[in-house]
Amino acid sequence: MINWLLRALAVSLVLIVVYVIARLIYDTYKLFRTRASRDDKAVLWRDVGAIGIAAQLVVLGALAALFSYLWSNFRARTDLIGLDLNFDFLDQPGNISIADNPLTPGDSVGAAITQGFLNTIRVIMIGIPLALLLGTLVGVSRFSSNYLLRKIATGYVEFFRNIPVLVVIVFLWGAVFLNGFPRSQEAWKPLNSWFIFSNNRFAFPSLMGQDNFEAYRLILVVALFVAIAVAVWRTTVFNNTGAPHHRVLWGLGTFAAIAAVAYVLLGGPVTTSKPDLDDRGRVFSGGIRMQMPYAALTFALVIYTATHIAEIVRGSIMAVHKGQEEAANALALSTFQRYRFVILPQAMRVAFPPLISQFLNFTKNSSLAIAIGFTETTSLIQNLFGQSQPAPQLILILALLYLTLSLVLSAFGNIINRRLQIVGR
Amino acid sequence: MAENVNPVVLPADVAILAAQNEANQAPSQKLPPGEWLKKNLFSTPGNSIVTIIVGAIAAAALFFAARWVIDSDFQIVRTNLRSFMIGQFPRDELWRPWASAYVLLAGIGLTSGALARSSYELSVSQELPAEKESILGLARRFWGIIAVMIFFVSFARTVLPFIGLAGAFALVIVAREVGWRLPASVRRSAAFIGASLVVISTLVLSGTSHLGGLVLGLIAFIWVLREVGRRDLPAGITGIAMRVAPALLAAIVVYVIQRAIPHEGFGWEDWGGLHITLFTTVVGITLGMPFGILLALGRRSDLPVLKTVSVLFIEFVRGVPLISLLLASGLLLPLFLPVDFDRPADLTLAIVVIMFFSAAYIAEIVRGGLQAVPKGQTEAAQASGMSAASVQRLIVLPQALRAVIPAMVGQFIALFKDTSLLSIIGILEFLRVSDTSNAQPEFVGKGLAGVTYLFVALGYWAFAYTLSKESRRLELKLGVGTR
Repeated sequence: MINWLLRALAVSLVLIVVYVIARLIYDTYKLFRTRASRDDKAVLWRDVGAIGIAAQLVVLGALAALFSYLWSNFRARTDLIGLDLNFDFLDQPGNISIADNPLTPGDSVGAAITQGFLNTIRVIMIGIPLALLLGTLVGVSRFSSNYLLRKIATGYVEFFRNIPVLVVIVFLWGAVFLNGFPRSQEAWKPLNSWFIFSNNRFAFPSLMGQDNFEAYRLILVVALFVAIAVAVWRTTVFNNTGAPHHRVLWGLGTFAAIAAVAYVLLGGPVTTSKPDLDDRGRVFSGGIRMQMPYAALTFALVIYTATHIAEIVRGSIMAVHKGQEEAANALALSTFQRYRFVILPQAMRVAFPPLISQFLNFTKNSSLAIAIGFTETTSLIQNLFGQSQPAPQLILILALLYLTLSLVLSAFGNIINRRLQIVGR
Repeated sequence: MAENVNPVVLPADVAILAAQNEANQAPSQKLPPGEWLKKNLFSTPGNSIVTIIVGAIAAAALFFAARWVIDSDFQIVRTNLRSFMIGQFPRDELWRPWASAYVLLAGIGLTSGALARSSYELSVSQELPAEKESILGLARRFWGIIAVMIFFVSFARTVLPFIGLAGAFALVIVAREVGWRLPASVRRSAAFIGASLVVISTLVLSGTSHLGGLVLGLIAFIWVLREVGRRDLPAGITGIAMRVAPALLAAIVVYVIQRAIPHEGFGWEDWGGLHITLFTTVVGITLGMPFGILLALGRRSDLPVLKTVSVLFIEFVRGVPLISLLLASGLLLPLFLPVDFDRPADLTLAIVVIMFFSAAYIAEIVRGGLQAVPKGQTEAAQASGMSAASVQRLIVLPQALRAVIPAMVGQFIALFKDTSLLSIIGILEFLRVSDTSNAQPEFVGKGLAGVTYLFVALGYWAFAYTLSKESRRLELKLGVGTR
């Protein structure tokens, strides 16, 4: 994956340089052609077009000089310390192991970075939906008629929004998780030890597949598509006849029905898995086991980002015209209906672009795992610095991975945003 | 939003604020406690359930938090209070931080007093309601910082910091009063006086230097350039020479005087704590501002080279996390320096990176402001025969920058919080002091991280909260976003 990204970067840089030079040549050509066809032309050094081209040439020349100077310094320094400027190290053994990860020390540096990147994705896949949920709840709470709820929501937002996210992370990690929970020998096991909380791991019960799980998974995927088809059919019925669609109910019902029938037919392909730890409190097995740094990072980012999302939600609700709410009240809609069908759909259109930028911030802030030792992209690459792997290439790769993530996220966001805007108007 | 932003003339702010206050006061009818409870907490069964559940959770959280705070031993903060404020600054030179803080506060007080007076005079001249803000009003606006400062000083083991803090409050009030009473001819230079005092307050710590002389000289240069520019000068090259020559002379004089004062100090390798956090933020924003404005203009330019370069720079910096840039500042940036050049201090490298970082974000803010200036402004300026540079400098930028002042304060807060990342690359700023304190032999392994983190969190919160309230106030005052 990394090699592929590096190639894409090189190609796009070349394309950009070619584009810029081609534009310059084309503009110069156009300038002289227009000048040749005009009788009332200005002197060359007062022609706006000519000044523009000259300015650009100067900037380009200055940049080229600057970069060649920096590059020569860079080469001199790297030669001095004997640093190779190739990417061969990616295939060397990395000597990296990550907790709860199948990576072995013999795996290559590239494979290690890929695993770190997957850990970043694990954080944002869980964290962003949670932050969105919490943020929306808090944002809506600030309009509640309940004094207590309103004040608590305001206090929460005003406190956590105004302290650095890094402080939230280290506080949750250093003060709450490490010191607030018992050691794993005397772990807290509520609900007949279906849950285990210790300052080493959290463990929750999970589902575990049996031998014929593969077949069941295939059926579930098919069921998902069938459910989507049913939901689409209900929407069509609604659009054509105006009959209540209940598409969510229908879709979920179809999915649940197929899943249940298949479960019975296959004779219980899934069982629950209970987390467990041995008498010395060392080994966890079964269930979903959550590393503490992962939990600290994800929860801290959720707590912090939710305050910003709450502010966006609040602002966007305030941007919905007051008449909309009054009309909904006049139609005797309940509070839930008012928000679900009248206010939030309109507020969403305003809220979406800043929400995307909060999701991007969440992604970038996940790099602060470096402070608490959760091995995602950034802290993995910092580990590699410690093993005297070449820093310049690693920093390039680090930047490239985050740029890719940002680009993909904002591209998705833009697609959804465009759909929201078209549906709305 | 863009086309609705309406550059409002300054006095209008008072009217808006007055209307706001009236609106705020309107629904304040006093209810007896029983009815108030019923209306606000128990109006419906659902509401009652929410009250009980939320109340129970909040009470439990408050109980545990209070128990934790009461049980905690704050000795670690008492021992390290000085480190939290100024890091490892030499302990036998403590007069420097105090003197530096006093000069800085004098500058802030003077400038804010003078600016408040100018705004007041303008309102009066337009026959709008205006009044001088009382000390109580100021205290209400800045209660967060004041409260946290008193809280911090309450950990001191001697009485001296109390006296110092009381002196600081008194100084701000007196300086503000002096600023208010300055004659109009001096008041219009308030920003320059303030900027000079800010630089001088830094020089008290660091000692006089080439850099300090250059910065002070630059301020003097712009100041004199502006003052001379107020007079009628002949057009053409003689006029320009008559403006530039005295300004240049002033700059040189200031530089020479500054160099002539034999004052040794401590460079920023010796600074730390809350001081370096604030310093890095101010320097990062100040250096990033001109660069950011250029990038914003470049991004809006029709010239493909300028546009491409600006877009690439802005999107690259905004697309990667700050921590990766800070890692690069230590590992990559020194590799671009000439071979015979010594490695600069870590903080110097970090400040360079922070400058680029804030420039990219400021560029996007300024771009928003530029888009908010109606196109007619540019066209009218062009129609009256102004050059492209003059159109931007005299017509577009003043309006654009005015509209983005609140967003700029927001960026300042964001950067203030982001400087906490410097702790990861080993710079002894505010947050890192809590780690070094917990590594001291008498505190190590006692689980006191929470205590110090809470202390640090309150420090960050006070500044960020106060500034964000000020930014909201500015937004109202400038009429940004109102129609």
